[in-house]
Amino acid sequence: MELDTATKPAPAPPPTAQEAPAHPLLEAVELVKHFPIKSGLFGRANAVVRAVDGIDFSLYAGETLGIVGESGCGKSTTARVLMNLIKPDSGNVLLNGRAPGTPELSLKDFRAQVQMVFQDSYASLNPRLTVEDSIAYGPTVHGLSSTDAVRRARRLLDRVGLDPRRFAGRYPHELSGGQRQRVNIARALALEPKVIILDEAVSALDKSVEAQVLNLLLDLKDEIGLTYIFISHDLEVVRFIANRVMVMYLGRVAEIGPTDALYTGGRHPYTNALLGSMLSMNPDERTMEAPLAGDPPNPIDPPPGCRFHTRCAMAESVCSAKMPTLTVTGAGHFAACHMVDPTSGHSKAAA
Amino acid sequence: MVQAVATLPIDDVAIERSPGYWVTVWRRFRRDPVAMVALGVILLLILIAILAPYITPHDPYRGATLRRLRPPGTPGHWLGTDELGRDMLSRLIYGARLSLFMGVTPVFLALFIGSAIGITAGYVGGWVNTILMRTIDIIFAFPSVLLAIALSGAMGAGIVNGLISLTVVFIPPIARIAESVTTSVRGLDYVEAARASGAGALSIVRKHVLGNVLGPIFVYGMSLIAVSMILASGLSFLGLGVRPPEPEWGLMLNTLRTALYTQPMLCALPGIMIFITSISFNLLTDGLRSAMDIKA
Amino acid sequence: MTTTSDPVLDIRGLTVTFGGGPKAVRALDGVDLTLGRGEVIALLGESGSGKSVTLRSILRLHPPKRSRIEGSIKVEGVDVTTLEGRALEAFRGKTVSMVFQEPMLAMDPVYTVGQQIMEAVRNHESISAADARARALEMLTLVRIPSPERRLQAYPHEMSGGMRQRAMIALALSSKPRILLADEPTTALDATVQVQVLLLLRELQRELGLSMIFVTHDISVAVEVADRIAVMYAGRIVETGTVRDVIRRPRHPYTIGLLSTRAHGGRLEGHRLPAIPGSPPDLANLPPGCAFAPRCAIAAEACRASVPEAVDVGGGHRVRCFRTADTANRIAALAPAVTS
Repeated sequence: MELDTATKPAPAPPPTAQEAPAHPLLEAVELVKHFPIKSGLFGRANAVVRAVDGIDFSLYAGETLGIVGESGCGKSTTARVLMNLIKPDSGNVLLNGRAPGTPELSLKDFRAQVQMVFQDSYASLNPRLTVEDSIAYGPTVHGLSSTDAVRRARRLLDRVGLDPRRFAGRYPHELSGGQRQRVNIARALALEPKVIILDEAVSALDKSVEAQVLNLLLDLKDEIGLTYIFISHDLEVVRFIANRVMVMYLGRVAEIGPTDALYTGGRHPYTNALLGSMLSMNPDERTMEAPLAGDPPNPIDPPPGCRFHTRCAMAESVCSAKMPTLTVTGAGHFAACHMVDPTSGHSKAAA
Repeated sequence: MVQAVATLPIDDVAIERSPGYWVTVWRRFRRDPVAMVALGVILLLILIAILAPYITPHDPYRGATLRRLRPPGTPGHWLGTDELGRDMLSRLIYGARLSLFMGVTPVFLALFIGSAIGITAGYVGGWVNTILMRTIDIIFAFPSVLLAIALSGAMGAGIVNGLISLTVVFIPPIARIAESVTTSVRGLDYVEAARASGAGALSIVRKHVLGNVLGPIFVYGMSLIAVSMILASGLSFLGLGVRPPEPEWGLMLNTLRTALYTQPMLCALPGIMIFITSISFNLLTDGLRSAMDIKA
Repeated sequence: MTTTSDPVLDIRGLTVTFGGGPKAVRALDGVDLTLGRGEVIALLGESGSGKSVTLRSILRLHPPKRSRIEGSIKVEGVDVTTLEGRALEAFRGKTVSMVFQEPMLAMDPVYTVGQQIMEAVRNHESISAADARARALEMLTLVRIPSPERRLQAYPHEMSGGMRQRAMIALALSSKPRILLADEPTTALDATVQVQVLLLLRELQRELGLSMIFVTHDISVAVEVADRIAVMYAGRIVETGTVRDVIRRPRHPYTIGLLSTRAHGGRLEGHRLPAIPGSPPDLANLPPGCAFAPRCAIAAEACRASVPEAVDVGGGHRVRCFRTADTANRIAALAPAVTS
């Protein structure tokens, strides 16, 4: 299958965030999604999970935006809202400046351009369909004849490194996790999308297989000119694959910026705590102190002000009183922390 | 939207095909000896029911006052005779027709109606789900035996009324199972992926939901056949279902009960038939359920 | 530290087969492992490598009807494979105890954390309820649960993931076992919580002088807690050695592949990860020779013909590979980042 590709010559580099075109490919504008927790006889909501609570970001053509954060930070909900699988309570998703579900951009057309790969490679394939039928389904929905759809499915299988002769007629349970995830990638490609959202797409794979799939994603991106949103809890993998990284905490963006700048000089204390939790791989430099105590708080009842102030060593009174907004800290680098906002009144705020 | 594609050499390669889902299920089922025996018994019973006119030694309706309540082993009447002197073997063979019919029909009717309700409620969700499922819950709140008796009693005795009341009894459990299976399938990533590909609700239900929910619902329905047979026999026993002189196992149990102390073996025969049939259906269901549980 | 002279746990030729007939799965095949007093060994491997099966065999948790266990497992000189009834019950929890990946599944949802610890203690010791409660409190304090008095009354579902795992550790340590088995105890936790639990386990191990086997699929976790690493592949231990030996001078091609395949640091444009080709093997259908041979870049005829025995490449660093002569400086060529 996938050969050692370390020595593969580099194709032309895709545009990076720095030389980003003026208008973004995909935009999230003030996205809010709360889930009511229903209880009682008539299912009255008496609490809400603030899964996504005001998120703004742009995705530029050709880049890979990594989204990191811990459980309950809302990264998977964000993915589903972006995909229009869940309707946001407020806010908008825009593709090339157009909102899906409007006369300018039907939901169906939007979905042909934005696709998703899920974490669970088994649950995301219909167990009753053969691999080629699963891949061919999307194109037939969009009007391709079934013969042509099956042809396309087989070519895509070949493209993702699975011999169609051996795999096209198989059922998902006959494949290994890595092979299934290749099928899922082929299915996402079948509609010739511009954007693919990868929601923990390699997290469930064994390490030896994960590398193969990451390489495949990079190859596809270079050859087809795809744009990725790569959601993961694995900071090493995100650092490897992403051009820009967005750090989320309890439904809000804590920091967003170019990968290198963020990994070497995170401006939000949470970013640095998260990076500090990465293990060193060096037996002579073991981690001696945990960067944070306790678990992430519950998104049902997030703390007021800065969501992170309950765990932050730098917290001052302003942090619990006022919610910080994203502030520019460098080229394309923003952090939502009172310490980077000179007007916030935080004693460590850079003047 | 998407343009047609030109032919490439890769399009013409022959692909290896795995056997389909049900072929695999059958292969797995075949390896389960208990389930295979149960299947054999059921097929045999069906065969017997079909061939009844050709294999019965006597007319199941004609009695002989002088030959009443003969024990099993009587020459000419291997399984004895009943309280009117009718040949037990012939009546048991003919009884398979009515008993199987009374057991299977309500379940199949209820499978149609219950699945439709449950799948709709499960896939659409929201208010539709609430209204449909709460209504179902109200019917479900009655104990099934009482409900069947009450309905049959209200409509009057007879095969058709018995079938109707049993069907009504089985709709709620099937609808509930259908609803819960559909709800869980609807939440699976492959249904999300299908929605993400821009497919409409009907297409998704047809291609991705039905294939994955009908199997489990059907298996659950199969497990109800045993209950249905017992309930149908119960109705007949109470004089509410099949009426004399029709041979039906439950009814035979009723009419023979006067001889319980004089010919216990004879009285037990219809009961044994009900027992064998219902346990076979149960074992068949168990085997089918584990054969269908194909995992990676 | 290696105290092989006085191992608390000595596994010899452990072979575990599940099922029978043509469908039999040999989950473990001739595993040898010794654990010294106060030593921490990380069992490292991917899904299906047999790392959890090894752990469960030590506690005899496999259903006896569907599994066949061969070889010996000696804990402090007693062969665990022969234990029955009361002796087995006394052994579980008291001598050897286990922490699971999912405390939510391992703990009983209808009892409070305090009740569960008290019950565990009183299963092994005849002490009063008050003493058991005092022990439970002591255990929760030991695992650094804030306001332990109050947490005694908490049900597992009322705790956060990290707290639950701490409670699980308290439960496992409540009867003061000498050997602790940990089955991916931090895998389900968030990054910032994982570090906390790893540090806790490391501190407790040192404070209590525990011997520990730590099962993980994550090399960086193994490096963080272990003295020695045993790398498993397809039911066999393919490489064992000190943490430094295994991660700096790995000699088995699989270990080398695993280390070089790790995404590490940023990526240069066009760069790809050196990946191990192929998929993990099917345990019901293993090749006759080395199980890694089909994926190995340097596999030779011999590798496909027979299973290599472990060879010592120096200082107790043992490798099951025929080609150790060719793997001496492999890692340096593949992944300079790891050795620097």
